[in-house]
Amino acid sequence: MVKAFFYHLQLSLKLNFKSKQPLIYGYLVPIFFLIAFGAVFRNGNPPLIHQMSQLITISALGGACFGMPTALVSERERGWWRRYRLFPRGLLPLLASTLVARFILIASAAGLQVVLAHIFYGTPFPIHPIHFVVAYCAVAFAFLTMGLVIAAVAKDVPAVQALGQCIFMPLIMIGGVGVPLLVLPTWAQKVATFLPGKYACEALQSGFTSDGHGAVFRLNILVLFVMGVCAAIVGTKLFRWGQSDRRTINTRLWVIVTLLPWITVGIFALKTDRWHPLAETPVDEAMAITEAQMSQISYDNLPPDDGTVTPVAAPNADLPQEASARLDLIRSKLDEWTPGHTKNAAQAIRYLLCVAAVADVNEDQIEGNIAQVVFEHIQDSFTPAEVEHGLAWVALYPASGVVVTSVPELKIQGDFYEQTIRVRTQIYAVKFIGRVRHRLAN
Amino acid sequence: MASALVVSHLKKDYGSVHAVKDLSFDVLEGEIFGLIGPNGAGKTTTLECVLGLNTLDSGSIYVCGFDLLQKPDAGKELIGAQLQNSQLPDTMTPRQALKLCGAFYKTRGDVNQLIERFQLNEKADTNFASLSGGQKQRLSLALAFVNNPKLVILDEPTVGLDPKARKELHELIAEQRKRGVTIIFTTHYLEEARSLCDRIALIARGSIIAIDTPEALIAKSKVMVKIKLRTSAPVLGERLSELNHVLSIVRKDDLNCIIETSSVNKTITALTSYLDTQGIELVDLQIIRPTLDDVFKTLVNAEGSED
Repeated sequence: MVKAFFYHLQLSLKLNFKSKQPLIYGYLVPIFFLIAFGAVFRNGNPPLIHQMSQLITISALGGACFGMPTALVSERERGWWRRYRLFPRGLLPLLASTLVARFILIASAAGLQVVLAHIFYGTPFPIHPIHFVVAYCAVAFAFLTMGLVIAAVAKDVPAVQALGQCIFMPLIMIGGVGVPLLVLPTWAQKVATFLPGKYACEALQSGFTSDGHGAVFRLNILVLFVMGVCAAIVGTKLFRWGQSDRRTINTRLWVIVTLLPWITVGIFALKTDRWHPLAETPVDEAMAITEAQMSQISYDNLPPDDGTVTPVAAPNADLPQEASARLDLIRSKLDEWTPGHTKNAAQAIRYLLCVAAVADVNEDQIEGNIAQVVFEHIQDSFTPAEVEHGLAWVALYPASGVVVTSVPELKIQGDFYEQTIRVRTQIYAVKFIGRVRHRLAN
Repeated sequence: MASALVVSHLKKDYGSVHAVKDLSFDVLEGEIFGLIGPNGAGKTTTLECVLGLNTLDSGSIYVCGFDLLQKPDAGKELIGAQLQNSQLPDTMTPRQALKLCGAFYKTRGDVNQLIERFQLNEKADTNFASLSGGQKQRLSLALAFVNNPKLVILDEPTVGLDPKARKELHELIAEQRKRGVTIIFTTHYLEEARSLCDRIALIARGSIIAIDTPEALIAKSKVMVKIKLRTSAPVLGERLSELNHVLSIVRKDDLNCIIETSSVNKTITALTSYLDTQGIELVDLQIIRPTLDDVFKTLVNAEGSED
């Protein structure tokens, strides 16, 4: 049985890559959706971050509603599954390998979407990879077993297309898969709670952002799992080896069993007021920065700390009394400076770096000392993770966020071009993160 | 000799249609056994029940001693089958199909040997869609032997093949018998069944109407040998009917007639001596022996009239 499972799995994958049609539907169509979504949402911050779950759900849904049942029914029409029926203990390894093969195909398409989105649009990779993998497995299980039911119920290939559309289109249009639930009317949001698309998107979204974690995530996974189990039972019960096989059981009754968890979950969500779509929490671009991204920051060719561009004085450097008093004033004013207390830590750090940048561009007498004070202030005011991610954000995304171009309230003169300030803040960010990560001497 | 297959009191209805009515037969080990009957006779339903492709309403089926209803998987291990209308996916190759099918059985034949034995060497790694009709049929036959079966069921294996391909397939089937495999097959070609089968079961309307060796069936059917003759001058019909063992005469014209006889030798001896005495030359003479076709028509008609 194990040998049969693996050989059928291997062969299914091989044959899939030998035909043009599965390649087009399996990979080109998901890429097309990515491009289409990219054209609309590429200016998101980060781009496509709230659409990745929808994109991945669409490709999983396409593979489940059309790809797998079409292949199954077409082989059944040719009488090939009738031959499979001759095998001893054939059903389990054949169905399992068919599902696993399709899982590999749709998962590879999802992987391709994630990689291409990252390359072309700069969409971050999932920041919660375990959530993402668990969610994807649950989504694929729920959808592929639904495809099994479609294959069992459909008389022929055209019927697969018709049945597939009956599930695909509602999920796309009002199920939160194609059109975000947040922009749909209330009645559609309520209807969506009866459809698996909402739970699939929410579960997958938790891999990319901090949305839908905790109890919401566990509930979404449970819903998808129960839907998958019911569909798997019904798909196996209604399974037909040949086109002319007569059923001894009531098809409609069993199809209702498939829909039972959909209905139950929908009613539960409405009764417990859980039908509201997940709010899109703005993504903290800084906190999404990975260790791999941080390690890519280069410390080569930085201006010297004792030069004229972005100088940094040594800690506790001796200063004339007047300069020392002014530095103390700046230090104390920094503690109360409103931009430095912005709720978003990374943005606050960017503002603080602007203080050093303005002093630098203004060629302030104590520019290097101000930079050192800013660095110390940042380290004292934020957690180490916030410091690292905030500095990395400024270093990697100099054009993001907001900068201040003048800070007269801190008794530092000058008002400069935004671009100039952004360039200097970036250099300071690199110098400071180099110190924090012990890549540069303090 | 032990039985490879025992079918007892098999019944199968499709709604109000009695597809198979209380059908019983057994097939001995090493036999080539033919199931012959017109379309809708119940051949395919019977075979489908044996193969586990269909459920039976009542009755029992034993394959090499295993009760197919109690131990279906044990029985399936021993059976190989060539099915009508079972096409591989277009992009699958014969080698892949043989490996795949073999993977499901505990005992399996060597794929390369099967490819050799069924003359698929040149096309072993070619897509199924590119195979000719004969090659597809040979592959279908090879798939039936993939698990080194003790019992092989072939459902109309030569249908749609040209005479050359059919002859090749006959040779392959005969060769498998030499290996000790029991073969059951259905066909519409009665002479094919006569030349290949050790025994034949004639099925009509869901029941077996006769079961025996082809020769015994012909003998039992009482279909007589006919002598077709052409003479140089007209012969009086009354004179011919007086000849030894002549049962009936059908005249086509003055010079041509067909004589049905119970003894060919004695009738021909009497006929030539009579024509000599009359000075009439025998221009043409043909002996027409009864075919399985004749036997089948006779038995089916007899069964129909009894109904």
